[in-house]
Amino acid sequence: MSVSRLIVISGFTVAIALAVVMEWASRREGSRIPSFGDVCAYVMQYEVGRVPVGRLGMYGFWWWVGWHFFAR
Amino acid sequence: MEQSPEVIAEVPRPWDRPIVAVPVLAVLAIIGAQFPSFSMSANVYVMGTGGALFWLGLSHRIPKRPAPQRLGSGAAWWFVPLLIFWVFEAGTFVLGSTDEFPTFSRLADPILEDRLMRSLAYFGWLSAFWGLVRR
Repeated sequence: MSVSRLIVISGFTVAIALAVVMEWASRREGSRIPSFGDVCAYVMQYEVGRVPVGRLGMYGFWWWVGWHFFAR
Repeated sequence: MEQSPEVIAEVPRPWDRPIVAVPVLAVLAIIGAQFPSFSMSANVYVMGTGGALFWLGLSHRIPKRPAPQRLGSGAAWWFVPLLIFWVFEAGTFVLGSTDEFPTFSRLADPILEDRLMRSLAYFGWLSAFWGLVRR
């Protein structure tokens, strides 16, 4: 395995591991870090006029993720 | 005479319970994992399941959990893993997503060829989508 590939894999692993640690930290009593679900819910509240822009964006992005990994 | 405050308890609907939702999502994931990438059936299935969840999320048919009115300062910490992921994804994408500099999806593709891993990943995607619909 090349060094560059190893660095890339390590980078993705660190990012995912950090996210897992933060989610764990958010669930501790009195934590100031919100859970990832709360962050998503907060973003999804964003509306422009009566258009739920945050919700449309989040659903659209996640729909695309599924298509990208399982269909394309 | 002092009156006791009225207590309103929301009874969860049967399909809203994990004992119903988890098996349904698991069956949908197992079916979805049968379709190979780049096939018409895989496209139709992911568009169908994702579209149904998209529609459910925008409709008012599913009771939603209350969202926080504001996030604490600790929310900024979420930028750290997201930024690291984005830097590597964008960097490898710009470099052409080669074996030397693979994007995340290029790394995931061989893993997702395995039927079990594909089912688990599909389940994760559907569960997260269902979680978003509920928020």
